[in-house]
Amino acid sequence: MVQERAAFPTFSQEPIRLIDPDGRWVAPFPHGLSAQELRRFYRDMLAARLLDEKLVVLVRTGKTSFIAPHAGHEAAQVGIAHALQRGHDWLFPYYRDLGLVLAMGVPLPEIFGQTLGNAADPAKGRQMPSHPGSRSLNIFTVCSAIASHIPPAVGAAISMKLRRTGQVAVCTFGDGATSEGDWHAGVNFAAVQRAPVVFVCENNRYAISVNIAQQTASENIAIKAKAYGIPGYHVDGLDVLASYSVVRYAVERARAGEGPSLVELVVHRFGPHSSADDDTRYKSKEELSAERRQDPLLRYQRFLEREGLWDAQWANELRLEIAKELEAALQEAQAAGEPDPLQMFDDVFAARPWHLEEQRRLLAEELEA
Amino acid sequence: MPTVTLVQAINMALDEELRRDERVLILGEDVGRRGGVFLATEGLQQKYGPDRVMDTPLSEAAILGAAVGLAAHGMRPVAEIQFADYVFPGIDQLFSQAAKLRYRSGGQFTAPMVVRMPSGGGVKGGHHHSQSPEAHFAHTPGLKVVVVSTPYDAKGLLKSAIRDDDPVVFMEPKRLYRAVKEEVPTDEYLLPIGKAAVRREGRDITLVSYGGPMVETLKAAEEMAAAGVEAEVIDLRTVLPWDKEAVLASVVKTGRLLVVSEAPRTASIASEVAATVSEELFDQLLAPPLRVTGFDTPYPLAQDKLYMPTVTRILNAAKRLLDY
Ligand SMILES: Cc1ncc(C[n+]2csc(CCOP(=O)(O)OP(=O)(O)O)c2C)c(N)n1
Repeated sequence: MVQERAAFPTFSQEPIRLIDPDGRWVAPFPHGLSAQELRRFYRDMLAARLLDEKLVVLVRTGKTSFIAPHAGHEAAQVGIAHALQRGHDWLFPYYRDLGLVLAMGVPLPEIFGQTLGNAADPAKGRQMPSHPGSRSLNIFTVCSAIASHIPPAVGAAISMKLRRTGQVAVCTFGDGATSEGDWHAGVNFAAVQRAPVVFVCENNRYAISVNIAQQTASENIAIKAKAYGIPGYHVDGLDVLASYSVVRYAVERARAGEGPSLVELVVHRFGPHSSADDDTRYKSKEELSAERRQDPLLRYQRFLEREGLWDAQWANELRLEIAKELEAALQEAQAAGEPDPLQMFDDVFAARPWHLEEQRRLLAEELEA
Repeated sequence: MPTVTLVQAINMALDEELRRDERVLILGEDVGRRGGVFLATEGLQQKYGPDRVMDTPLSEAAILGAAVGLAAHGMRPVAEIQFADYVFPGIDQLFSQAAKLRYRSGGQFTAPMVVRMPSGGGVKGGHHHSQSPEAHFAHTPGLKVVVVSTPYDAKGLLKSAIRDDDPVVFMEPKRLYRAVKEEVPTDEYLLPIGKAAVRREGRDITLVSYGGPMVETLKAAEEMAAAGVEAEVIDLRTVLPWDKEAVLASVVKTGRLLVVSEAPRTASIASEVAATVSEELFDQLLAPPLRVTGFDTPYPLAQDKLYMPTVTRILNAAKRLLDY
């Protein structure tokens, strides 16, 4: 997709949008994507949605303890995933990004293994669900502490700059994260260093129950970039091609040595904050149903229909195919079984010091008895 | 062999490691142009440039967090926190990110970084230039914690810390920065993290200390010797993992343990050492292990000298042990 820089205004009041809610291409330039690429976006969004639905079932049936649903974020997350060079660039995601890491290529059995906290989890069942990571795909393992991954993303980007690796770090977070000190510390340092990092806010306007109006008095999230001397882009995150194009533009700008930017993708959170939350306590029925009417998948479906790339039969087959993949991956992950309990003492350090050796022996004896 | 102060030995170690490995980089407040407020990094930016000896914004979260990302991406960052007392704005980066990265990722990502910080009291700095927060770090699984007391150790241990594959908190008692001089080889040498040093051999009582109060502990041992009591003095050097083997071996010989530290007493390193010795050598002890520590108050300015473990206080505690 060839983009003129001027095509994406910084600090716009209206969100940048390429596809309108009726699925019409509204940009003054062609999208320049092949039919195959356009359909790939749809497939990834649908897979993200179906994964979310599957995870909700896993919680309801007691197979896992927790999940942070990402339904409503699919266009934003798939847009981000396609905007970076997978396996080359680094992603610093947060806990609502399972749709994103799936589109980045994290194998489904690993996602389910992490969700179940069992031996199929490459992180050995160390963290609660919705905390993925992948060394081979350069996906920095999620940390629960909000915004704590922002400064590390900046550090990695400084390393990329110093060593001229041609990589970019992309760091995602919610709107609530922008109130944390570490967010500001990280964005400021990145700007001073002109580090190749793109900060992407998936703004669903809620931090658990706290509405954006209680979170910030700024007119939007993107405008915060101005104070740090970097561009901010305010984007309709229900529009997958706008999300993709603007993030991609920011990524390539960073890669070219022009420094960091902040991209705000305005989305909806269709589900509760997490499986432990009840969103009807703070969102009205009207608000919930109004949000759900603005489904990013539906908008993109309408666009594809106009392009002659969507029909119900194709979509149904796709849905069945993905559902099968999900079920097979879940079976595979479940078959992995529990991790070795003594793994508890691994990875605290590169090697176990005496005190961990002693404690490991204590537990081993207890388990043998 | 040059005779150097502790802070000069730190500078030597940094210089050697910057020269040896181009992944090594220093970042912190005022570390570049000024060479650090204590001059630990003096001359290094001139030598290695502003990218490898980097002045950062005034943000410990940015310094420590960026160090995590630099390390995870393959660099060997050495972060300087201007005073140990100012690590707290960045503590989440140290505790939630650096310490847990290897564990939470199942060994996929690591943060081999060093966090240097001048620590401890004795410089009339009030409670925000005097604290000894090593127990906080030791209580956070995933961090190694070194506290040095001599120029020779400072160089050898800092070089090891930089080469270590895990995050190391490296504490430098600021009152010792220029208090002692010692011959330090310009040649390469490394000292192992986790190994204590026996500073003085003796068979009557074991004195265990580390960092600043090593000075008072050694003085007390000298006075005891004048009175005919042979104290064995152990400098822990690393407080996590601390050298249990060395401490137990000494207490087996002496039957008496006194731990000296200027950190507040409750939930301290001193308590940990005393508890472990009680658990493991209960039937060989001639007296209950004792601690001489800082008080459980914020570090005071006016009562600075009363707060710190004094030679007299150490001698009195030793007497209690010997008379038990
Ligand atoms: C430092 C910290 N404080 C509080 C929490 C508890 N917490 C988890 S998610 C969350 C809300 C975050 O909202 P936002 O950043 O907007 O992301 P969203 O969940 O809406 O995607 C809170 C308060 C936390 N994980 N970390």
